[in-house]
Amino acid sequence: MSGEGAARYGEGVPPVLVASGLTKAVGAGRAARRLLDGVSLSVDADEVVAVLGRSGSGKSTLLNLLGGLDSPEEGTIVVAGEQLTGRGARRLPRIRLRHIGFVFQQFQLIEELSGAENVLLPTRLPGAPSGGARRAARLIDELGLRSVAAHLPHELSGGEQQRFAIARALVNDPELLLADEPTGSLDADNGAGVLELLRALSGRAVVIVTHEPDAAAIADRVFNLVDGQLFAAVPGRAP
Amino acid sequence: MTAFRAAMIEARHGLRARRRRAVLSAVGIALAAAMLSAAVVVSYGLGTGFDRAANAASLPDIIVRFNNKSASDVARRIRALPDLARFQLRLELTNVGIGFEGRSRDDAVAEVIDPGPRRGYAVVAGHDLSDRGSQVLIEKAFADAWGIHLGDSFYVQGLGPQRVVGFVEAPDNVGYPLAKPRFYVSRPAIEARFGHEPNPQVNLAEIWLRNPAYLNEVLVQARATSFGLNSISYATRSGVRVLLDQAAGIVIDLLVALSLIALVTAGVMLAASARAEVQRRLSAIGVRRAVGTSRAQVTLTQAIEGLLVAVPAATVGVLAGVLATYGPSSSLLELLNEPAPGAALVLPLLGAWVLGAGVPAMGAAWPAWRAGGGPVVALLRGGDVARTGRGRGRRRRPSRGGGGARRAGLTVLGMRLVGARRARLAATALTLGLSAGFVLLILALASELSTLETDPGALGERYALASYAAPSLAPRVARIAGVEAAAPRYDVQAADSYELDETVDVIAYPGNHTVFEAPPLVAGRRLRGSHQAEVGEGLAEALGLAPGSTLALDFSSGNELRLRVSGVVSSLDHDGRVAYIPASALLPVDPNPSSEIVVVVKPNANVARIEAEMTRVGAPPVRANTATSRGVPLVNVLREILRAVAIVDGLVCLYALIQACALTVQERRRTVAVIRACGAGATAVGRLLVGAALALVIPAAAIGIVLERFVFGPALSHLAENYATLPLVATGLDVLLVVAGLLLAAGVAVAWVSRQAVRESVVSGLAA
Repeated sequence: MSGEGAARYGEGVPPVLVASGLTKAVGAGRAARRLLDGVSLSVDADEVVAVLGRSGSGKSTLLNLLGGLDSPEEGTIVVAGEQLTGRGARRLPRIRLRHIGFVFQQFQLIEELSGAENVLLPTRLPGAPSGGARRAARLIDELGLRSVAAHLPHELSGGEQQRFAIARALVNDPELLLADEPTGSLDADNGAGVLELLRALSGRAVVIVTHEPDAAAIADRVFNLVDGQLFAAVPGRAP
Repeated sequence: MTAFRAAMIEARHGLRARRRRAVLSAVGIALAAAMLSAAVVVSYGLGTGFDRAANAASLPDIIVRFNNKSASDVARRIRALPDLARFQLRLELTNVGIGFEGRSRDDAVAEVIDPGPRRGYAVVAGHDLSDRGSQVLIEKAFADAWGIHLGDSFYVQGLGPQRVVGFVEAPDNVGYPLAKPRFYVSRPAIEARFGHEPNPQVNLAEIWLRNPAYLNEVLVQARATSFGLNSISYATRSGVRVLLDQAAGIVIDLLVALSLIALVTAGVMLAASARAEVQRRLSAIGVRRAVGTSRAQVTLTQAIEGLLVAVPAATVGVLAGVLATYGPSSSLLELLNEPAPGAALVLPLLGAWVLGAGVPAMGAAWPAWRAGGGPVVALLRGGDVARTGRGRGRRRRPSRGGGGARRAGLTVLGMRLVGARRARLAATALTLGLSAGFVLLILALASELSTLETDPGALGERYALASYAAPSLAPRVARIAGVEAAAPRYDVQAADSYELDETVDVIAYPGNHTVFEAPPLVAGRRLRGSHQAEVGEGLAEALGLAPGSTLALDFSSGNELRLRVSGVVSSLDHDGRVAYIPASALLPVDPNPSSEIVVVVKPNANVARIEAEMTRVGAPPVRANTATSRGVPLVNVLREILRAVAIVDGLVCLYALIQACALTVQERRRTVAVIRACGAGATAVGRLLVGAALALVIPAAAIGIVLERFVFGPALSHLAENYATLPLVATGLDVLLVVAGLLLAAGVAVAWVSRQAVRESVVSGLAA
């Protein structure tokens, strides 16, 4: 499943994602707690990085920062050559629209829209790249969703819903895909299918945060998030 | 800790946590309460005005007017009447000269009264007349119009300066400027100046009965004993109400109807608001039930939380509604010589306040009670949009090529999100539709009022000039260049032979009356022949007349006339209690009716030249005066009230749209957050909300147009049909204005809510 972004970020080009010195705290006063303490991460195109950690370790916070959904107190983030940190509220959505795709644990499909309409939704947003309908049709076919494309989310299985969510994340051909516990709501078979799908994505940088060691098995690099800091682990092996 | 205290603490915590939402709810409740109180002020004030005035003034059961006669003669006749409680005689002088601080008039009405406890007027400021000194009582509406204060010196022709000792309201007639200025002086004071008159002249008698149920019997006797009194006319208490209606009946009816519409609008809005609020909290209720909170405790908490918002909001709203409408409606009542309700409004306003505060609280508590009885698991899912069974089982057919991907843009999505809450969509669209229909009605009414005000032809009056000259001069006037037609117009008062308290204004022309006066025909046909009559709708309704039935008229001459009703007409004058008959039928039974010569002017004729020529031939003209031109101040007051109600109505529309959009965003926080995570900025969220607003505005506009065209307009036309034919159909421009107003309100709502929506963090939205 190759993407157009692959042509832009191949070998010899800067990493798709460069995050350095990210710091983020929650709470205030004595209750303040540092979730991220100087985290740095670089992910190339065609690379899958998994971040493992216990619940509450700050995995999702890291993902939100990398996707521009939240802002760090310190540090910088660059995605596909675009600086995320310090950007205004008008520019950030445009960067997300063109360069970043999200996959959520709870799928987050919109109930009123069919699976296909959910996939098409990002292509209808102002500023979306052209050719969205064509890419959506292709993704739906490639992910084997054509027969259920017109079904509403509650008429789909968990695996189907997550595949639609992945298609939606990819429809604007982003260079970076961020997946937050992508198999957390799926059974083992469906979870494995989704992980295969993420592994098969080529030409993109993929960051998966999860607490499930199986998800790490598909990653090129694996990190553990402990006490707000990232530690490299051996790929393909449970930490 | 008591259950109440615990509920109170929880409710306060809840409000603090949802401060913005509480403020939004409070604004809506305040607006609804404002509409309620405005409706109460207008409808209660006007609806009970006459009865309050009549009671305060001790209005007599019968008022008899006649040409001057000695008081002893009249008193002898009245004492012979059965069931008599008491009576009072009075001399009413017309065309009296008056003056005050450089202003003067020569057409005032002076009431010369004898001392007594029951006089047919209420002293609303100062004190009543005493028998000594140069004192005068002045009608309040006139005093206000001329800026006269208690203690001022008021000049009366023939009496000189008089000290103003009081202001009065007498409900037997409308006030200045709808009627001529009226003041009261005491007979002893006049006699003190001009000498004692042992048998003074009187021309008005006020009669109070022991039992007003015997009114008809007394009237029969009164007519029998009135031989020798000339130009006698009777007015009963109900007849006085009719007289008032001549000037203001349509206005009162319209305002009461409009207030009722406002009341319905407010009710729908309150119900929708309350239901939406509880629906939004279903999942929270489920959590509390899951941790062991009792059903009663959940309900109590919801009720207290609702009351904490609703009580202050309803208080502010009720006060605002009173402030907006009390002044204009009091001005209107003053024009009608009726007192402002004052403290009497407290109870109905308290009712409005209880309704305004209680309905939202009840609306919050009742669904909470119902929900609290349901399965907790179902409640915990309550935050999601409810899917209907039909929708759950529905399968869409995959389309070719696009893999079932239809072009669902953000606007369409916004529509679908609103459509997911069908009950709320219906309630909100209905609220907006009622408001839109109401505004359309006001616009249509304003157009009609303008037409009535400026075009006498709208009332069927086609003559432009009149003269009080003898009827014999009519042929000479008709020959003046520029005159299209001229004829005597006879106008006398008669009573229905069967129901003597129903007075009828009988209008007669020697030829085709439609040349001069053509009130719109609503049933039957125009009169033909000397034994037929056209009757006004007011009269037809009062007496149960229809084309083909018999109209029996009893004249003051003692003669009776029976005519066949050929048709029923609309007439704004005389409350529709009017009969058009041929002069050939009238003159034999009433040889000396009051008359004037009326003149229809040719198009583009020189009216000034015609007036000069009429004066030269001995028929000095006056410009024809339509009912509405006499009522211009009334119409102005009406406009002021309508404007106040329309402003509140517009704010309600705006609130309903903001509330609907805000609720959509609040309930679908996750959806909005997902879209934003996909890269949607403020513009895209705005588009989503535009769709949501359009889903409300489009059906609302359609509902409003349909309601105005098929419900409000015809209902109001029906109310007004005794007075005039008012089509009350909104024009295309009116519709455009209302649609534009709705779109503007939608634009404001979308801008405000989308600004709020993009301020929220995407992360917290995703976690919602």
